[in-house]
Amino acid sequence: MEHFALWLSAFLTLGILSFLYKDNPWYKLSEAVFVGISAGFWFVTLFWDNLVGKFWDGWQDEPMLWVGAALGFLMLLRLVPRIGWISRWPLAFIVGATSGLWLMNYLASNIMVQVQATIQPLFSTSYASGPDAGWGAIVGSLVIVVGTFTGLVYFYFSKEHKGAFGATARVGIFFIMITFGASFGYTVMSRMSLLIGRIDFLLGDWLGLIN
Amino acid sequence: MTFHRGRTSSLASGFSARLIIVIVVIAFLAAPAMWSRADGPDIVLAGSDSALVSLAPVTSLVAADNTYDNGDALRLTWVPSIDDRLIDSKIIGYRVYRLAGTGEPEAIADLPPGSNQYLDETVLRDSVYSYYVSTLSERAEFPSNRTAVISPQREWINLDRGYLFLIALAIAGAVIYYVTVAKRGKKLFVRKIAGLEAIDDAVGRATEMGRPVLFIPGIHDMDDVQTLAALTILGRVSRTIADYESKIFMPVARSLVMTAGREVIKSSYQAAGRPDAYSDDMVNYITDEQFGYVAAVDGIMVREKPATVFLLGAFFAESLILAETGNSVGAIQIAGTARPAQLPFFIAACDFTLIGEELFAASAYLSGEPRQLGSLKGQDVGKVIAMVVIMIGVISLTFAEAWKIEFMQDILDRLSVVFSTN
Amino acid sequence: MRQLVPLTITFCVGTLLIVSVFIPPLGDLERTFTLWFDIIAVFAFFLGGGNLLRVHINKLWRRKKDWGFSIVTLAGFATMLAAGLFKIGNPGDIATAVDAPGSMFYTIFDSVVVPLGSTMYSLLAFFVASASYRAFRAKNREATLLLLAAFIILLGRTPFGLMLTEWVPDSFSLLQIPNLAIWIMNSPNLAGQRAIMIGIGLGVVSMSLRLILGIERSYLGGDNA
Repeated sequence: MEHFALWLSAFLTLGILSFLYKDNPWYKLSEAVFVGISAGFWFVTLFWDNLVGKFWDGWQDEPMLWVGAALGFLMLLRLVPRIGWISRWPLAFIVGATSGLWLMNYLASNIMVQVQATIQPLFSTSYASGPDAGWGAIVGSLVIVVGTFTGLVYFYFSKEHKGAFGATARVGIFFIMITFGASFGYTVMSRMSLLIGRIDFLLGDWLGLIN
Repeated sequence: MTFHRGRTSSLASGFSARLIIVIVVIAFLAAPAMWSRADGPDIVLAGSDSALVSLAPVTSLVAADNTYDNGDALRLTWVPSIDDRLIDSKIIGYRVYRLAGTGEPEAIADLPPGSNQYLDETVLRDSVYSYYVSTLSERAEFPSNRTAVISPQREWINLDRGYLFLIALAIAGAVIYYVTVAKRGKKLFVRKIAGLEAIDDAVGRATEMGRPVLFIPGIHDMDDVQTLAALTILGRVSRTIADYESKIFMPVARSLVMTAGREVIKSSYQAAGRPDAYSDDMVNYITDEQFGYVAAVDGIMVREKPATVFLLGAFFAESLILAETGNSVGAIQIAGTARPAQLPFFIAACDFTLIGEELFAASAYLSGEPRQLGSLKGQDVGKVIAMVVIMIGVISLTFAEAWKIEFMQDILDRLSVVFSTN
Repeated sequence: MRQLVPLTITFCVGTLLIVSVFIPPLGDLERTFTLWFDIIAVFAFFLGGGNLLRVHINKLWRRKKDWGFSIVTLAGFATMLAAGLFKIGNPGDIATAVDAPGSMFYTIFDSVVVPLGSTMYSLLAFFVASASYRAFRAKNREATLLLLAAFIILLGRTPFGLMLTEWVPDSFSLLQIPNLAIWIMNSPNLAGQRAIMIGIGLGVVSMSLRLILGIERSYLGGDNA
């Protein structure tokens, strides 16, 4: 059985890799298998974890879970054309809940925390000593403050990017591009290691050519 | 048999001395039991050990109500045992005991050495409790004094979040103010966003080429605000598609998104006066599995060859795979996400990218509706507040640190309190 | 009515959750609403799964292009449903976890979904190369900056980067590639990240308010429903 599973994994792996050449029946087969089995996997997982684990096993301690079940049932009314509009009610609940939750979370984590973290001294006696001492620390501080400020100017919607304002916004987009470049360069190596992992499986586990 | 008088006296006095010594020793050993502390339990021996290490208990143990909660937690603080500071400390940890009302002590937590606090979140409101903390060695426990009896209290308002409330009020207030101003007819300027200006042309291109538009709303569910942003943009885009009599496909990775997507597109076609052109097949559920979805969407791209691809919403590692595949079939791609880590890949592979905030501004921008544009102005007020605070903070901190100017330090301390989050 | 009720629901739920941040007795609302969402998602899956079945059965029935692969999809879906819902092959009985090692469900997941997912993920190695080629043609100043930053960070993480600038004297150690890479990550990169994140935060606040206040209603079908 294990042998069969190994060969099946290798067969499907090669099918996916064949997409790099072009679309072909081997890739279509691997894709069909992937979609069918993963969709079934997630349905079963949701059924046991959420419907049984959270709702059925929990409603006696928390009768309010029936409200969730009722909203879920209203969702299914979409299948009845004449009263399908009722399925908007659970959607409305979800939109309200998502909006309310994310508004406060992002206000705290993205706005307040980031503003607080940006408040750094431009010059400090601590920059004269310690492992990170030197001009790099001073310039680094200045760069962080200037970069954050000009980046925010770039995202300003209410004014045309012209004149001095436009020049400031331009500096901002330069900083943002450096951010993107840094992020890009940082992830390139990790992407390569993913491929090495699959080659290791094919040549090592499947064909036994490498230890 | 008679005893010689002198010898008897010597024996008696020796016996008495030994008896007195024994009584004193017993009294010394029994005193802790006889005068056991009214507040604390006895030293617990895990077994007889002639080489028992004696450890100092924790001190200054205080139990207090956890502030700003629903009366369901009590906070304990203490000063760790003085033996905890030794390099070769024999302390292996601390054990927290709780007494509910007049009940027996119950061990509720084991903490590592160095611990000086514990939050008990298993209490019931209006019940009474007291605590003690034992210092643990390998073979014994050394309990502290017991705390006074306390009952957890409910607070109705979290005053610790007063500043968060004020900042939320300031930003939300600005948004609502400008929405109101816009409603009254005042024209508000919004600069052009290239990616959004290109939508009409991109959809027009699809119509001319007779190829469909592919809309990918990310891989997260409706509980992600990026997905909501994508759906609000879908409303505008699908209206344009309906007006241009083009086709749209929207493969999704979540069933709820499928339901919402169908609702949005159907309404757009109704608004465009083409309800018969709408079909539920425009929006199809694929699978919840991240890369299973990507495999299927890649297949759709190379087989259907869409002229325009929208990649809007929450994306992860699959962002580059989708964008590169779309690029390979010659599609115009407009992407947007609020995940900074994926933006570089969209920038590299797509024709237009909505960077972070622009994704959330898109639907307001596309609607052109004054109230929606007013909300963008409110966002800008938030940016101004952030920039002003940063400048004040940086200047204050620089002067406070470099030149030790006290009132600048006061400004800084106030800013730290305002922007601390809990 | 068809719009009023949903808009009212959105407003009430959104406002309650915002207010619950400041009112401790309402602190449990987030957990409760999250549980309700999880339950709704399962019901929604009946619609999604049903759609999957309908599409592929339709393709099969009408012998549309590539209908043969629809058989594979349907067979895979049915197999996993049977294996998971009835816990076929689970060590122990139906009370054991559905993904217990040794179960048919786990075996299929481990030999199909895991390797396929890893392989799709590994395609990134090829796509990142093609994306890099396109990005690094540096057609304007912004692209040049992106290219430079990416190049320095990439080199800084390899021994080659150290070799290239070993000769730089210690008084200018910041110009050695590994140090420059670290400085770029800690300074200009951080600045850009912060500006983006603050902008995102403001965007989320604004959009959430538009949704809660009913200004944005396209998710309900706009003003047309």
